[in-house]
Amino acid sequence: MSYFANRILSIILTLFLISVITFAVTNILPGDVASMIMGTQSNPEALAGLRQSLGLNDPLPLQYAHWAYGMLTGNWGNSLIFKVPIATLLGEKIKASALIVVLSMLIALACAIPLGVWSAVHRDKWQDTASSSTALLGVSLPDFFWGIVLILLFARFLGWLPSSGFVDPAVDFPGALQHALLPSIALGLGLMAHLTRMTRSTMVGILGQEFIRVARAKGLAERSVVWRYALANAIGPVITVAGLQVGYLFGSIIVIETLFNYTGMGWLTYQALLNRDVPLIQATVFVIAAVVMLANLAVDLIYLLIDPRIRLS
Amino acid sequence: MKRFLTSKGLIGLGLVLLMLLVAVLAPLVIPNDLANRMFMTARLKGPSFAHLLGTDQLGRDLLFRVMLGARTSLTIAVAAVATSLVLGLPLGLISGYYRGRIDNVLMRLVDTLLSFPALLLALAISAMLGPNLQNTIIAIGVAFTPFLARIVRGEALRVAQMPYVEAARAAGTDDPMMMIRHILPNIMPQVIVQATISLAFAVLAEAGLSFLGLGTQPPNSSWGLMIQTSRDYLDIAPWTALVPGAAVALTVLGLNMFGDVLRDVLDPRANR
Amino acid sequence: MTIETSIPADTGVEAGATPIVSIEGLRVEFKTDGGPVVGVEDVSFSINPGETVCVVGESGSGKSVTSLSLLRLVEFGGGRIAGGSMRFARRDGAVLDVAKASDAEMRAIRGNEIGMIFQEPMTSLNPVFTIGRQLIDGLMLHKHLTREAADARALELLRKVRIPEPERRLKQYPHELSGGMRQRVVIAMAIACEPRLLIADEPTTALDVTIQAEILALIDRLKRENGMAVLFITHDMAVVAQMADRVVVMYRGNVVEQGPVEQIFEDPREDYTRALLAAVPRLGAMRGKSSPEPMPILGATAAPLTAARPATPKPGSSRDILLEVKHLTTRFPVTGGPLRLTVANVHAVEDVSFSINVGETFSLVGESGSGKSSCGRSILRLVEPTSGEMTLDGWDLRRLRGADLRRARRDMQTVFQDPFASLNPYRRLRDQVAEPLINYRLASGRELDDRVADLFDRVELPRKFLRRFPHELSGGQRQRVAIARALATSPKLIIADEAVSALDVSVRAQILNLMMELQTEFGLSFLFISHDMAVVERISHHIGVMYMGRIVEMGPRAALFEDPRHPYTKSLLAAVPIPDPRQRRLHDDSAFRAVPSPVFPIRHAAAPSTYDEVSPGHFVLEQP
Repeated sequence: MSYFANRILSIILTLFLISVITFAVTNILPGDVASMIMGTQSNPEALAGLRQSLGLNDPLPLQYAHWAYGMLTGNWGNSLIFKVPIATLLGEKIKASALIVVLSMLIALACAIPLGVWSAVHRDKWQDTASSSTALLGVSLPDFFWGIVLILLFARFLGWLPSSGFVDPAVDFPGALQHALLPSIALGLGLMAHLTRMTRSTMVGILGQEFIRVARAKGLAERSVVWRYALANAIGPVITVAGLQVGYLFGSIIVIETLFNYTGMGWLTYQALLNRDVPLIQATVFVIAAVVMLANLAVDLIYLLIDPRIRLS
Repeated sequence: MKRFLTSKGLIGLGLVLLMLLVAVLAPLVIPNDLANRMFMTARLKGPSFAHLLGTDQLGRDLLFRVMLGARTSLTIAVAAVATSLVLGLPLGLISGYYRGRIDNVLMRLVDTLLSFPALLLALAISAMLGPNLQNTIIAIGVAFTPFLARIVRGEALRVAQMPYVEAARAAGTDDPMMMIRHILPNIMPQVIVQATISLAFAVLAEAGLSFLGLGTQPPNSSWGLMIQTSRDYLDIAPWTALVPGAAVALTVLGLNMFGDVLRDVLDPRANR
Repeated sequence: MTIETSIPADTGVEAGATPIVSIEGLRVEFKTDGGPVVGVEDVSFSINPGETVCVVGESGSGKSVTSLSLLRLVEFGGGRIAGGSMRFARRDGAVLDVAKASDAEMRAIRGNEIGMIFQEPMTSLNPVFTIGRQLIDGLMLHKHLTREAADARALELLRKVRIPEPERRLKQYPHELSGGMRQRVVIAMAIACEPRLLIADEPTTALDVTIQAEILALIDRLKRENGMAVLFITHDMAVVAQMADRVVVMYRGNVVEQGPVEQIFEDPREDYTRALLAAVPRLGAMRGKSSPEPMPILGATAAPLTAARPATPKPGSSRDILLEVKHLTTRFPVTGGPLRLTVANVHAVEDVSFSINVGETFSLVGESGSGKSSCGRSILRLVEPTSGEMTLDGWDLRRLRGADLRRARRDMQTVFQDPFASLNPYRRLRDQVAEPLINYRLASGRELDDRVADLFDRVELPRKFLRRFPHELSGGQRQRVAIARALATSPKLIIADEAVSALDVSVRAQILNLMMELQTEFGLSFLFISHDMAVVERISHHIGVMYMGRIVEMGPRAALFEDPRHPYTKSLLAAVPIPDPRQRRLHDDSAFRAVPSPVFPIRHAAAPSTYDEVSPGHFVLEQP
């Protein structure tokens, strides 16, 4: 029980630190929210008045306290560019992003684990070289480059899938999947390559351990030595690394969603950054960091369920 | 040394050296007017004898453009990784060597920073500071620091518990000397490997930033920027995207191969 | 030899007629970057039904490769059987050449007709599967048992290897079991299908001596009960004497000598065998001797080394105390929670008191986790003691800070166990030995070079090693460098923490002799930390036996070895295998000692250590 109490205390502490860092990053330059709201041709007096009313003349800690209080009480303010409440905007967009993040994670894991195991089993043979080279190429190309290639191939050339846009799964599920598929693949390819390499090296390590030799000495077929004995040990570390890559995915969606004009969190963040919509930037950055932190936490809990060594201690 | 002379190591090293050579020499060898000359009659033309890799929407020779872009892309990558080393190395070293309370505080901060996707952090910093060459370097450098600090800390922690460090302490070695003579040399292999891999990520990050218009700004040329401007002409001139994309790919591929082989050579544990 | 009589009547094999395994001219090569390397060059021997054959040799002798070849497991490690035959008599009477058998044939033999156990009980079991699951999969595979039948048989097997609470163990994971118990599980797995041959590859090397005694007795009992033949691989001649019917001595991939165990021990034909036997410290060999003596070493270098030794100081001639430790207690906090608060303490060292005289060796002996290393590290102030007093030649070690602590450290140096980790891999040997001299400004320029070269001479290392890096040296040579570095500051005390444990026996004897020689030459004192009773008996003046963080018995060597009083000391001494095949004492293997936990709640008040003085200087911990 105290384990969960500890965990919750730790989460609150981390959320606090995340909010401080978010606020610090978005206040590197003297916040010019006022001039952004009024435009460049505003008169100085009106600008000063607005500054006063927005509290921009207060010392930074006080400004932070104001902002943090607003976030805590659910008063997240309005977006300067979209002129709507930020909270509703985020609630909408995060669902769209969740769809492609989850989809890309599934695609990456489904391909990476068999490929990595296969590679490790045939270590230093042509199979390993082939799959390792492919994986190396995968991590070496920027994801937006994959996105462009996918658009050219599947949208322009073959015409199988739409090249841009977002469809709400609640409205049209097959349509939503069609629109989500290309961005998910573009997002997942780099991750898949990374996880393939990771699975391979983990499996190579495990296959060199004594208990594998013991399993072979028992007369077990190589197939079950690899796919049952060894993989059961690799799956935990692989899932953990995959979970840590949720952060990487939430960075990549900014580029990918913009490229595919897929209106999720990444696209929204980009719009906010481009237009220096400071309240929206603060909210999106905070929410993304919080989501990543919680995702990592979830991975810890999954690992807890998988690995008996941690489960019992 | 023998293990380094594999085909993978040689190709990786070759690619890295080639890109470095191009980055250093291209601006000296290619006349400025030739790189910027606009062949109005040959806009968006595919590869030909006159223009080996084709031309862009303004009729500029893509081969020259991509060679000039190498300098910007690699300068940013190298400077950004150097920045993250300057920040992350002491941070991780102190944290891992002294342990205790200072480690708790520093690593709590680093762990929190790791919750921010590196690209998001870099984009936010760049957007806030205003996109230009220097700020792009700072943005990527700062965004990469927590990763590096984590790795350095882990290594320092491991090395600080080695018997030779304890023997040196018993032999009267003080803390600064201990870090310089015993800890640093023994974590350097890992740091070098990590720096190589970070370089690959930095090239990708620069491309991402520039692709979103928050990195390199015209009239400077970088690979990411070239891909961005090519987006509008994808249907009629896909090579305008493929050429800078290939340049990024080859550089990152070279760095990754080089890093892999370095890891195999320098870290016996990775080679069980 | 009585091989015939040891064959159980029901094996159906005519006495002495057909060996279970006969290996002829085995050659194994390994593929490396630099071309093929020969692991085993030419090995021939056979194993008869029901007998134990011990293959003994030092590291690199090819003994493990031979055993792995017999199951063709060597191929998974990059090896290849390049020649020879290994004829194995199968259960149905057919004879199969294992060297040429197919994969399917090998799978039918592995775990079924030949079982194998390995060195590391900690890594021999799959950490994510339960004990039960790992026991039954071999049974279901080879014996085609149903799940229920296999479960029942698994339980029976755990009873057979005498694991307490077998029902509960089946559902547990490996990490919940102690090392000794895990090795019992591995053995149960290996004998599950009642193999005709059990291969044991250094099965007790990683275990504490009392656990080793249990496991050896277990293997011996199972061999007799099941009528198995055993191929036992070890580097330890004492274990050989206890276990073997016949012995095969290997050196660099070849068989040097083989024969019945009595013949090997009493009438060895080859020099190598003799050297191997001479280097084995024998418990009780020092009976009746008043001070430590160098180990006998056969060969050219040993004789002058012993002869050149100056006369030993008479006992009692140096009664000056160098190091005095009083009520030393060291606890490590166990932290938890987001604020990393201390939730419990590991009582690593608990109220330990002893003293070391000038020019003498005090040994702390005990099993893993007894706190002996923590004790040494506390004195060096590499860890901070919780309380207690430590005085070294007038310096109050516990209260020293900064410059004073550095100054005091000049007088006590250290040599660690792992010769591969105790030298900085990126510095030249010269720089590493010079480092203390520079730090304490003891020498500079030409004088520094001379001093370092002298130190190399002292530890008998060639001067051409000065400019080398650690990886160019063997384990024994590195340990000599570590000793040279320790000697550099002309210390009064050297703390040697398992300093010879990682070395082969012949090298170990040389290093021990070097240490004893340096002691008489410089009047050095040693705090010698070891788990090896025979080594400790050989080199110590005084001994403290540690258990659960406390010294349970302490006294002059003779008193402690000839008149042990504390039950733990007695069990420790009884567990040491004797290198004499005529003095076999394999004990009852069911004597389980619960491994107590040294973790206590924060407010736990530990009782003080109080002692009975049974004879002058001989103290025994009073038991509550």
